[in-house]
Amino acid sequence: MRTVRSIRRVGLREWWHQMQYIGDAKSGTYMGRDQFGNRYFQNDNPEEEIPGRHRWVDFAQHDFNATQVPAEWHSWLQHIREEPPHKDPVMMNSSPPWKAPWIENLTGTRGAYRPYNTVKTKISAWEPKSAPRA
Amino acid sequence: MSLAVKAALPSIGRRAAFRPVVGLQAYRSLHSSKPASQAEPMPSSTTSATEPVTALAQRNSNQYSLEHPQNRAEYVLSTLDKITNWARQGSMWPMTFGLACCAVEMMHMAAARYDQDRLGVVFRATPRQSDIMIVAGTLTNKMAPALRKVYDQMPEPRWVISMGSCANGGGYYHYSYSVVRGCDRIVPVDIYVPGCPPTAEALLYGMLQLQRKMRRSRKAVVWYRK
Repeated sequence: MRTVRSIRRVGLREWWHQMQYIGDAKSGTYMGRDQFGNRYFQNDNPEEEIPGRHRWVDFAQHDFNATQVPAEWHSWLQHIREEPPHKDPVMMNSSPPWKAPWIENLTGTRGAYRPYNTVKTKISAWEPKSAPRA
Repeated sequence: MSLAVKAALPSIGRRAAFRPVVGLQAYRSLHSSKPASQAEPMPSSTTSATEPVTALAQRNSNQYSLEHPQNRAEYVLSTLDKITNWARQGSMWPMTFGLACCAVEMMHMAAARYDQDRLGVVFRATPRQSDIMIVAGTLTNKMAPALRKVYDQMPEPRWVISMGSCANGGGYYHYSYSVVRGCDRIVPVDIYVPGCPPTAEALLYGMLQLQRKMRRSRKAVVWYRK
């Protein structure tokens, strides 16, 4: 019933897309999109969406992961802020101009963080030296 | 009046940060060494969905070359690789090596809320039938030989997830006389999950990262090129 209702609302094409990426037929209000093209939705009706699943993201990339959601939208998605970032007055006024661009997790690529140490090592390997026999 | 203007001016600049940025914005080289053919510096961030920043970071890399077949044999082999990867990532059976409080979070991952079963992750209590080991908690000197034995009993291919500060690098007990300073001194670790303890969500994200790592595997193509 819920699936049929969602298909009727979003259309067959969008439903197929949802089944491939979200794995569920969902329908709700379009709340906005971020700079990466991820789309954000909400459905507050508890009859239609289980509370806790009422805010969701439709990722733009095929190979998606949760770090592709930028910080502002993350706070909306996880109910830290009630309003989406382009409507939230606090969010609009507290975004500093020196903020760096959002970068997703680069683990496994060449852009991954690599720790390094500039201090002299505390332990050194034992290099055995044998004195020549008399 | 002037106060209102002053207050409005910085917020305009701040609002500008929310607008979707078209194209590439910052120009900072990701890598110090770059090929001679590439003249322009590599951008460090992008908003494109077709060529995301992960793709930029992999440009001209060995992995990029492996993922793009050059002839028919490589095409077949990389497809076989993809099938293997799909099979592996769909049924990750972790060996539970719960040593401390991290193990409780590991149990939470198995419980209803984070529900690892939907990803095909099923805890298996025997090392001989599992392919991932989640080292959850403080690894003591006394436990280290047992950990190594369990790891050696696992069949290839096998992966290790190091979970929590203690397993990553000793953590709180780094200066203790009886604790191994990171389980990577005993077994090769694939994924490090930070936190003390990491949330079940973080561990699940670690599992997803391991899936990503499995997807990158191109063993047959490597074998063919050699």
